[in-house]
Amino acid sequence: MQNERSLEKHLHYVAKNIDSNFIKMKPILLLGHERALTQIKYNREGDLLFSSAKDLRPNVWYSLNGERLGTFNGHCGAVWCIDVDWETTRFISGAADNSLRLWDCATVFMLIENSIICVGVEIGQLSVKSAVRTCVFSYSANMAVYSTDATYGLDCEICVIDVRNADDSFSNTSPILRMQVKGSKVTSTIWGPLDKTIITGHDDGTITQWDTTTGRIIHSVKDHKGAINDLQKNSDGTMFVSASKDCSAKLFDIEDLSVLKTYQTERPVNSASISPLYDHVALGGGQEAMEVTTTSTRVGKFDARFFHLVFEEEFARVKGHFGPINTLAFHPDGKSFSSGGEDGFVRLQSFDQSYFDYKFDY
Amino acid sequence: MPSIFPLTSWADETEAEEKEKTHLPPSSEVIQNGFKIQTEFRFNNDGKKEKIVRIYKREQRMILTSVIKRRLWKKFGDSIHDKNGPNPANTFLGEDTEMIFFTSNENINNSEENIFDKLKNHNSFVKCRNCNGDHWTLLCLHKNVKNKLKLEENESAQLDTGNSDEKIKTHNKYIVPNLRGFNSKKIDSFNNKGFDSLAIRISNLSPNTTDHDLEELVKPFGPISKLYLPKYKNNGLCKGFAFIHFKSKLDAHAAIKALDKHGYDHLILQVDWSTSTN
Repeated sequence: MQNERSLEKHLHYVAKNIDSNFIKMKPILLLGHERALTQIKYNREGDLLFSSAKDLRPNVWYSLNGERLGTFNGHCGAVWCIDVDWETTRFISGAADNSLRLWDCATVFMLIENSIICVGVEIGQLSVKSAVRTCVFSYSANMAVYSTDATYGLDCEICVIDVRNADDSFSNTSPILRMQVKGSKVTSTIWGPLDKTIITGHDDGTITQWDTTTGRIIHSVKDHKGAINDLQKNSDGTMFVSASKDCSAKLFDIEDLSVLKTYQTERPVNSASISPLYDHVALGGGQEAMEVTTTSTRVGKFDARFFHLVFEEEFARVKGHFGPINTLAFHPDGKSFSSGGEDGFVRLQSFDQSYFDYKFDY
Repeated sequence: MPSIFPLTSWADETEAEEKEKTHLPPSSEVIQNGFKIQTEFRFNNDGKKEKIVRIYKREQRMILTSVIKRRLWKKFGDSIHDKNGPNPANTFLGEDTEMIFFTSNENINNSEENIFDKLKNHNSFVKCRNCNGDHWTLLCLHKNVKNKLKLEENESAQLDTGNSDEKIKTHNKYIVPNLRGFNSKKIDSFNNKGFDSLAIRISNLSPNTTDHDLEELVKPFGPISKLYLPKYKNNGLCKGFAFIHFKSKLDAHAAIKALDKHGYDHLILQVDWSTSTN
């Protein structure tokens, strides 16, 4: 087949300065959401970018040129969390309409009664008792964990479900594991190494490690003074960074939950991501006092800050958002990153040559 | 001979002008040096002609099979009716934003926290004149303290003559002329009361009181250093008050006690210490 190991010729939708010696890439703005962004995620190869917002439809974009592939229509409430499996065949999303939906990403053609159904079909939905705040596929994507909000009379719950052969009966499947959270509610979840543990960040700043086989708490630490807004692992899964409302982000070891590094800012950090290429961390936040406008009003003043992973020092900023940055993600190849803001924009920013040449003096 | 310039009427010319306004030059695509330059003309929102130049560069990349497969997916959801390529409603290029690099953290902190530091630094802003607190003098809570401070100053000014230089330098306040020990100019001895003689003021004198009458009135109380009775220039009548400078405080005190509320020529006298301010 011609597709195997073929060269793909792409016409880049990119503005380039022919006169200048270096290539400056303008950021690509993606306007697919009407409300604030809640999460963005790249797939494993990095060619697709999934975004969810407080409006009802998660979007999928091609990260190369920002072209929108499609939207997942079906939810009735704000979509809080999304995840895509490593093969990019399944997509999971949890929303405030008390449902967790599993979507098909890969089916291009499906002949049912002689009609062609396109990608983005919902495989099934799971009704839960309150809003689904976090949902993550496991490494193999055979399992998925989701957590619900605590509402009147109900505790926050963490549930692990099997998604292997999900079909229409998905809504009736019972979870493999159900864990009640007695303390403050879960705001962010990641899987531990080899899917043996689940690590959750809570509203009061605690980070808890659960055992997947028994459902018991292995370990719990409280290093943050404010709610944990986001947890993201590094590319090999040995460490994770936590972004907290207490204006700091901390680097933890994934096995024993010890604090390795702290990155201090002066406004609440909404999201943090570790670069897969260099020893850099990107922090995005908001809720700062409005500064007097002295710069162009067309360029937003909320910025993503880059810290050195080891030296804990900020070395760069990228401005651009018109509202606080709610979510950040590095492209899997580390050469670009994207951020989703309160303003509803997703910005795909490729790095300049100056970023690659930057060397921290020590 | 055929004419070089074709004969045209002005009517034809105006028609051509109008055509130009609505006529757009054709768009063109030129490929040069590996760049594809697409030139397009259109009318923008203001109704003016606009030339759009898009420059494309062809690149060849090796891409994974799985990625290519995904490239072939049909669009779904809200993008179901979108054509190939990015939809300008959803995707557009932003302004150039550069990465701002820092060498050290100091710069950032300075710019962001300076404003608030200034407010915290009360030294440079609000300072009460009385108690040196961080509030306006008008709103000073220690108003009594304020008065005390002033009285103390006055008394110390009266007693202390030699140190007035230092006092003035330290306090940096206005000191009334009669209290200025070092700077007292005895130009007008009548106006200058001085503070080494005790002065009393007698008011409510009848207009036909003379110096002689006054002298006889106060002589019994003790020796007098100065007697001052202001009179009107035109008719020589006294203005109704007088200042007597006794040589001793006791005499002055006795004079006040005796003469105050004392009847003199159909009027009741008012006698009191003469105030330091005029």
